[in-house]
Amino acid sequence: MNAEDRREIEVRGDDVDQAVADGLAQLGLSRDEVEIEVLDEGSRGLLGLGAREAVVVIKPLSAAAQIKEERPEPEPEPEMVAEVVEVESEPEMETVVEVVEVEPEFESVTATAVTEATEEPKTSLEEAEAERQAAQATVETLLAKMQVTATVTTSISEPDDVTGRRINVIEIHGDDLGVLIGPRGDTLNAMQYLARLIVGHGLHQRITFVVDVEGYRQRRELALSRLAERMAGKVVKRQRPVSLEPMPPHERRIIHMTLRDSEEVYTESSGEGKYRKVKILLKE
Amino acid sequence: MKELVEYILKNLVDYPDQVVVEEIETPQETLLELTVAGSDMGRVIGKKGRVINSIRTLVQVPAAKQGKRVSVELIETGDR
Repeated sequence: MNAEDRREIEVRGDDVDQAVADGLAQLGLSRDEVEIEVLDEGSRGLLGLGAREAVVVIKPLSAAAQIKEERPEPEPEPEMVAEVVEVESEPEMETVVEVVEVEPEFESVTATAVTEATEEPKTSLEEAEAERQAAQATVETLLAKMQVTATVTTSISEPDDVTGRRINVIEIHGDDLGVLIGPRGDTLNAMQYLARLIVGHGLHQRITFVVDVEGYRQRRELALSRLAERMAGKVVKRQRPVSLEPMPPHERRIIHMTLRDSEEVYTESSGEGKYRKVKILLKE
Repeated sequence: MKELVEYILKNLVDYPDQVVVEEIETPQETLLELTVAGSDMGRVIGKKGRVINSIRTLVQVPAAKQGKRVSVELIETGDR
C-alpha cells in the first residue's frame, strides 16, 4: 500500500471488458500500463432482472503513474474554449435558454458542430459541442415534461485532475428546485442517468456529462473535500487511520482527489459495492 | 406524467413506435402502464432495474405538483 494506490479507480460496466475499456479511457492509459483487478464479473441476468454490473479496479502501474506525473498537464487553453462557446451561442442570450418544448434532433446537432481544429485531449471540441447541445436539449425537454419551470445553461468543467478531460456540465436554475434534487440527490441522479442514456442512445455512444441543480453538486463536493481535510487532520493528530462512511464512487473520488497531494496521509478504498468506503491512513 | 414517460421511453428504445403508455386513474392513484417491444424490455428495465426505477423517481415530480400518487408498471409482453 503506497502512494500510487491513490490513483486507482473503480469502474462499472455491462461486462468486464467494457468496464476496463471505460476505465482506461478515463485514465488515458493503455492496458499494459495498468493493473486490473476484477471485483465482480457481473452477470447479464434475464431481461435485465438479476443482472449485475461488472466492477473492476484499475491501478496505474507505478512506472506509468510516474510518467503521467512528470508529464505536464495538457494545456487547458481556457481562452480557446470560451471563444468557441461564444461563437456557438446566440450573442444576446449567452447559452441561457428558456425551457421550451423541443424535440431534440440528434442528427442535425452533429451537423452544426464547430469546424475549428483542436488539440483537446480525447473528445474533440466538435464532439463535445454536439454532446452539449444534445444534452441541453434533452434536459430542457425532461424539465418541460416534468412541468418544472427553470432555465438551463451549460458550461465545460475544469480539466479532470487525473485524466485532464473536460466534460459538459448542464446547470439548471430556478426557484424551488429542491424537488429536482430529492432525498440525497436521488431525483437529480435519476435525471442525470436518464439524460445520459437518452443522449447516448441518440448519438450512438456512451456519453458522460453532469447535470446539476443550483450548484448542488458543487456544494456537495465542497462539503466532502472539507470533510476529507478535517478527517485527515484527525488522522495526523491521533496517529491512526480513520474510515469514512460508505459512499458512492464519485463521492469517494472527491475524497481521494482532495488528499492525493497530502504529505502526511494517503487514502484507499475497501469493501464492495455500496459498502465501499474510503480509509485515510498515515504516511510513514 | 404520461408525456414524460413516453418521451423517455421513445428516446431509449430501438422500437419507439411500439411504445405505449396507458394512464389509468383509480381513486387512490394514477397508474401508468408501459408496453414496449419485447426486445426492448431489458433496456427499459436496466441493470438492477435502474432505468425503470429512475423513471419512477422522475415521475414523482409532476405527480407531486398535481397532488397525485403515481405508480409505473412495465407490462410484460410475450414475444421476444
